[in-house]
Amino acid sequence: MNKLPFVLIAFSILINVNLSAQTEQQSGDDPFSQSKFVPDISFILDVSYLYRDIKNDDYNLFEVPGLIQSTLEESAHGHEHAEMNSRSGFNLNYGELVVASTVDPYFDLFGIFHLSSEGFGIEEGYFLTRSLPLGFQIKGGKFLSSFGRINEQHAHYWAFANMPLVYKSFFGSHGLSEIGMQINWVAPTDFYLMFGGELLQGNNETSFGADGFQDLSGSIKVSSSNAPNLYTGFMRTSFDVDNLTVLAGISGAFGKSRLNHGIDTDAPDGHAVYEDAKILNANLTLKYIIESYRDITFQTEFLNKITKGDLYYKDSIGTTMKGDISKDQSGLYSQLVYKFSQYWRIGFRYDLLMKNEIVRNSSTLDLPDFMPQLSSMIEYNPTEFSRIRLQYNHDRTKYFEDNLKINNEILLQINLSIGAHGAHSF
Amino acid sequence: MKNIIIILISIILTGSVFADELNVVTTYPYIASIVEQVGKDKVNVFALAKGEWDPHTIIPKPSFIAKLRKADILILNGAQLEIGWLPPLMRQANNSKIQVGTPGILDLSKHVELIEVPTAISRAQGDVHPDGNPHFHLDFKNIPKISTAIAHKLSEIDPVNKATYEQNNNAFLENYYQKEKEWTAALEKLRGTKVIEYHKIYDYLLRRVGLQLVGTIEPVPGISPTSRHIESLEKIISSNDVKYILQDVYHPDDASKYLSSKHNIKLKIIPHDIGAVSNTNNIFELFNEIVRRLIGD
Ligand SMILES: [Zn+2]
Repeated sequence: MNKLPFVLIAFSILINVNLSAQTEQQSGDDPFSQSKFVPDISFILDVSYLYRDIKNDDYNLFEVPGLIQSTLEESAHGHEHAEMNSRSGFNLNYGELVVASTVDPYFDLFGIFHLSSEGFGIEEGYFLTRSLPLGFQIKGGKFLSSFGRINEQHAHYWAFANMPLVYKSFFGSHGLSEIGMQINWVAPTDFYLMFGGELLQGNNETSFGADGFQDLSGSIKVSSSNAPNLYTGFMRTSFDVDNLTVLAGISGAFGKSRLNHGIDTDAPDGHAVYEDAKILNANLTLKYIIESYRDITFQTEFLNKITKGDLYYKDSIGTTMKGDISKDQSGLYSQLVYKFSQYWRIGFRYDLLMKNEIVRNSSTLDLPDFMPQLSSMIEYNPTEFSRIRLQYNHDRTKYFEDNLKINNEILLQINLSIGAHGAHSF
Repeated sequence: MKNIIIILISIILTGSVFADELNVVTTYPYIASIVEQVGKDKVNVFALAKGEWDPHTIIPKPSFIAKLRKADILILNGAQLEIGWLPPLMRQANNSKIQVGTPGILDLSKHVELIEVPTAISRAQGDVHPDGNPHFHLDFKNIPKISTAIAHKLSEIDPVNKATYEQNNNAFLENYYQKEKEWTAALEKLRGTKVIEYHKIYDYLLRRVGLQLVGTIEPVPGISPTSRHIESLEKIISSNDVKYILQDVYHPDDASKYLSSKHNIKLKIIPHDIGAVSNTNNIFELFNEIVRRLIGD
């Protein structure tokens, strides 16, 4: 894993040597010149400065009850995350290396690598077919699922610095990023209509785990999944009415989930679940184009998560017990972004976690079920390759020992890209 | 019943039961207008971008994917003018006919001579066009090359109607050369006139007409004017007899207006594509209007 950066550096040096050699002696001279085949390469850097009125150490103890564990608890269970914009002070959110090219007449290949303080990871590595008939396309490898609207978009396409809370709650800070296959079909209609489905391994940190577990004594054991464990289905449609574009979609993710939160340790609160999980999504985007550089976009997504299964937990003397657990949780975000010049955008977002029902061994947990967050941002894009964003979050979702801890944060984010020209997303 | 289902499925899958016309999608309206002239009733043509938008930054509407999905031919301007918006749409269209490298794609920039090809490229010079200036269609002498390339492409994809396409193109060219003579004659009096433009979008036109460009409102491509740059333009203006400021329809015109009123230079809004201003419904009307605006006061 740690060798990868060096391999890539060596690779890029080779490319550079090759390129400069080419410009010096023109392509005709070297009969084996490969430089025309260099893939599109770009590098994106995202850094921020965050001010929060709560100390980092205190903030790490906060949780979103029933939805997001505290950072401290997560790392105790072996999840180590350098989450974006998470600490007061400077944050290196990511350096993203994108390599893409056409393989042959049949495939395109994409590699997206994230370099963060966590290490070096393959964020995405997938192929797309180019020549399937009748409007079909297959995608395979590791990729961000096409579930929902923003899940498949990389963070630099988002209108706000952080992920909507409902996505973070249901999928964790990396979204639904999975290994598997996707097939999608675009209908030959005058308006846009697309259907798709995915067969995925199911390795999501929050909702769809594939790794089995057993407790210390070995009295309970749930074996790991031997096959893809997660299915998604999605549909999108879009049409224009004069200068207004409407994009709507629905999707669902369905899986069998094994999630271990320390049942294999001597932690007294160690537990694990083995459950059926489904997450449903409905989304709507309205974009009104006023003129070339001015438009208003309203975007909203609603998600509902329903799970039901077995809970493994420890009683007062540490013996593993088996019970049952079910969840019915929902949340949404709605945002309005106004691009008022070639270079400037402002936006407002309302996040809400609004249903939070967890029934554990037939008793309903007492959890807050109205947790909002308000965000606003102003963004300056000097060119298509740079962005400076100022964002304010008023967060009423964080709790410590059942008490609401209101969190205000201001962040200044800078996002820069070099190399191959990126394209806008809708 | 079974037959009906099979027919329905085939309509859904191919959408091609009634499609005896060739579906041609173009990125910009000027291309669509030429395709209409060459293809006439044999083609069904749709332009993705609107003529009043900045051609560099088109908002990639999902409805464009639907148009690309059904395209038999995609005709693009090329020279990287579409780089910021078209590639993801092409990938999402799932149409094997219009993938890069297939015969269903026509890149017009390959059929004309590009000017201003940079020798060294750095984005310190702004959002440079690395292959050269892509706004070649505003040289009216390039239009015959474009229409002929389109006629060849339509004939290649739809060989049955080859004779029709060639005939249509010849008829179009005959008409066009006539108009071109009129435009050339009308513009002759502008030769040597000094102008300023916003973005280097009119360079091909300026060369053809013999207009002399002495400065651009944007300091480098894609960057809005700074007060320092405006000052340097004012120096240029004071030492040159600048007659016109040429402005497109989509950039803010405050800097142009400021210079225009302060230095008493005529500000002219020049349409860069069909639909940018009224009375530009086809390629003839576009150049008629450009000429009218250039020579008028
Ligand atoms: Zn340009």
